[in-house]
Amino acid sequence: MRILVLVVNRMVWFIPTLLGLLAIVFFISHVIPADPAAFAAGENASAATIAEMRQRLGLDQPMHIQFLRYVMSIFTGDMGNSIYTGRPVVEDLLSRLPATLELTLVTVVVSTLVGVPLGVIAALRRNSWVDHALRLITIAGLAIASFWFAILLQLLFSMRLGWTPLTGRVEGWGPEPITGFYLIDSLINQDMTTLVDALHHLVLPVATLAVPAAATIVRFTRAGVLNALESSYVLYETAMGYPRWQIVWKYVLRNALIGTVTQIGLIFGILLAGAVVVEAVFDWPGLGMFAVNSILNSDYNAVMGFTLIAGTMFIVVNLLVDILQGLIDPRETR
Amino acid sequence: MWRVLRKLAEDRASMLGLCMILLVVLAAILAPILATHPGDVNQFHTAIRLSPPNAENWLGTDRMGSDIYSRLLFGARITLTIAVVAILVAVLIGVPIGLIAGYYEGLGSDILMRGSDVFLAVPQIVLAIAIAQTLGPSIENVILALSVTYWPFWARLVYAETRSCKNETFVEAAIALGCSPWRVMVLHILPSISSSIIVRTTIGMGGTILTAATLGFLGLGPPPPTPEWGRTIAESREFLPMAWWYAAFPGLAILVVVMGFNLLGDGLRDVLDPRLRRAARGR
Amino acid sequence: MDADLITVRDLRVSFASDAGIARVLDGVQCGIRAGEIRGLVGESGCGKTTLARAILGILPRNAARIDSGTVMFGGRNLLDLPEDRLAAEVRGREIAYIPQDPSTAFNPVFTIGTQIADLMRWKSPLARAANPPSGRARREADLARVIELLRLVQLPNPEALLRKYPHEVSGGQRQRLMIAMALLPEPKLVIADEPTTALDVTVQAQILKLLKQLARERNVAVLFTTHDLGAAYEICDRITVMYAGQEVEEAPVSEFFDRPSHPYTRKLLDSLPSAETGLRGIPGEIPRLIDPPAGCRFNPRCERASDLCRTDRPPPEPVSPGHMVRCHHRLTEFSA
Repeated sequence: MRILVLVVNRMVWFIPTLLGLLAIVFFISHVIPADPAAFAAGENASAATIAEMRQRLGLDQPMHIQFLRYVMSIFTGDMGNSIYTGRPVVEDLLSRLPATLELTLVTVVVSTLVGVPLGVIAALRRNSWVDHALRLITIAGLAIASFWFAILLQLLFSMRLGWTPLTGRVEGWGPEPITGFYLIDSLINQDMTTLVDALHHLVLPVATLAVPAAATIVRFTRAGVLNALESSYVLYETAMGYPRWQIVWKYVLRNALIGTVTQIGLIFGILLAGAVVVEAVFDWPGLGMFAVNSILNSDYNAVMGFTLIAGTMFIVVNLLVDILQGLIDPRETR
Repeated sequence: MWRVLRKLAEDRASMLGLCMILLVVLAAILAPILATHPGDVNQFHTAIRLSPPNAENWLGTDRMGSDIYSRLLFGARITLTIAVVAILVAVLIGVPIGLIAGYYEGLGSDILMRGSDVFLAVPQIVLAIAIAQTLGPSIENVILALSVTYWPFWARLVYAETRSCKNETFVEAAIALGCSPWRVMVLHILPSISSSIIVRTTIGMGGTILTAATLGFLGLGPPPPTPEWGRTIAESREFLPMAWWYAAFPGLAILVVVMGFNLLGDGLRDVLDPRLRRAARGR
Repeated sequence: MDADLITVRDLRVSFASDAGIARVLDGVQCGIRAGEIRGLVGESGCGKTTLARAILGILPRNAARIDSGTVMFGGRNLLDLPEDRLAAEVRGREIAYIPQDPSTAFNPVFTIGTQIADLMRWKSPLARAANPPSGRARREADLARVIELLRLVQLPNPEALLRKYPHEVSGGQRQRLMIAMALLPEPKLVIADEPTTALDVTVQAQILKLLKQLARERNVAVLFTTHDLGAAYEICDRITVMYAGQEVEEAPVSEFFDRPSHPYTRKLLDSLPSAETGLRGIPGEIPRLIDPPAGCRFNPRCERASDLCRTDRPPPEPVSPGHMVRCHHRLTEFSA
């Protein structure tokens, strides 16, 4: 019952945000361009094509009618066709979704496993050289341009040392697609060679993406732990002689992680944004690479479709994080 | 004010950040003097293309044989111009919206804030890509895309601060004394929330520069032959692994300037942010 | 003086702050007998909480420094004991703690049961038994003790309470839980740091009565810090008065109220509101602990102060058995 109330409460804000996102994308695609029809038809379209496009898209209609039609078409899953592939944008996007999700989810796991312990250590040894070093490293990690870092990693580990593959998700064809997640599909097919190969291909893209994500987690965990360490309950637990390790790794960590969970939404945003360029550098056949190719091809519908799906994913993740936070924090009653 | 500056001067990390920023600012201002080949922004020397760092070309040359060091210096001008103007516009949009929405309570304020929430609900780079793609590659359009993307950060911040500030005694007193709302906002509320705005702006500079460089890398930045750093890195990719210097130095320049702003912002927050200070003193 | 359970000698503690070094405890002497309920009274900032925390060894590590002194307990100096032994052998075992604000002392994200179970895991008296039961048997025995004690502190439906989160129970119930948790390990001394300040006045009296009754039954000594003389009168056997980091007088509770010997104690008692006099404050200000007055720290506010008071801190002098005062010009019955 409590969960239901929680979900409904969070959902109330979900629909308006989604509509707002549609409004922004509509504004960018239909209002900013001097002639959206010419834009939608592509660079080399003839005047006749443009005129036809204008009528077909209803661009001769008043703005609010256009917006309504736009919202209706999006909700029926129609984002137009890609000029480059000729297929519906929705299909193109959905076929590339698993690759991006696999990359970002593995990154979330890796950066959490690295970031949380480092954040706790930095807080426990506050103002020691470890703490100062971690502060510098995390600030640098957040300041590094991921496309540049990706290229440096490729240069060193793939080109010079030959330890990791340069690009792609696997050598040759991927496993029989079931979920589209290569790690899961190769496990289902019991194809260990592909699994290892897929993991091998994940190393550099995940390393690139994990740097800013882990840096964020370190900083938030550190702040959360410091906050908890200064709390009255830690003073009480210390005064009553609970062992230090239990205070830190059980009582303090749980409190600090409630704050960190909130940041996963933020981190997911960083990752999604990072995926755009990282996928392009590693030829990772996900949403990001699709977006970059669409930009290069001036494939207008595809870019707007990507914006919409990336925004929606971000909103959905934040919704999930909100619900999750409500579930793990007993004080959250609404 | 002096106390703040002195505290800041004691923080080694902030000073390091300040030095990094000054380094890039000086490079941008003095680019024509510091550059060994100031003409190379537009000139080619195909005979010496892709030469490694040497006495003549300190950081090597690019695919056109232009001096990378000189192009980097002029690139600093572009990067800083984009970031400063974009942030300025974002602040000029965001701060008044936040002030007004925070001062007047009502449906209008709610709509303004919900609107800015929607902008915040989309990853900034994604929104910037969509806008820049629609407008076409140029410096002005990158600036526009970044301002439209980033203004909600200031609106949100100023809104929250104004709301809490409105209940402070000095604001209530000013209202009771009959100051006009405009006067209360500009002369009473704005000065007392300025430190939060400064902190947010400093940290925002770093993020904006990164996003601008990413747009450049994706080909959505100012068109060639502009020596924009992100675009230079994109160009360099086909000449790897041979011409490592081509990719390495522009990226290093981005790292230095972004890290500079992040370090300074971090230090400023520790010194300025009254909420954090209060929390630290609480124990 | 007969055998003290715990003896604090010449304890000096200073705190570093932006403004300078504050000398928060200045040569404090204090002994607590087994089973006695001792009040530690004084205005806020007089160092009572610092003394309580110094005994437990839980002063903030980066800000506070112990400059000198000993805290003798069970034949050893607690100040010399390493942190891990203090945590394992002393805190929550021989010396338990009841905090000021029960609403923030519980960890908000664990159930009360989890927190008590962890306490019993480390501090259960059964673990100290000659032949401790193991595993499941021990946990069941511990749970039975917990339930029994929760009943004793008059908490209704203890089993259900253990499954609740701290924010789901009332402030008075939380403080009863804190008392129960302090007594569960069967300690020799309980340090109760202003245990009722955060509570409603009506609840305060009940909690104090409960604390006194349970401590008596179990022969547990209590160090009870408070700025509320009425509360001290209710439950204490003896009272120690502190002023600006120095203890100035120590007396059995009846003597304390009838025959105060230190001018500060006298003023403290006079400041209690009464029908005849109404409210009366103590003239002057509490001294700054950074750069405090030399000698007796009360001298700037004391009309009896002489040059001697401004240079030398008075030694402890007995007034009657169990009554000690530190004053060069102490009040006698006739000088009042």
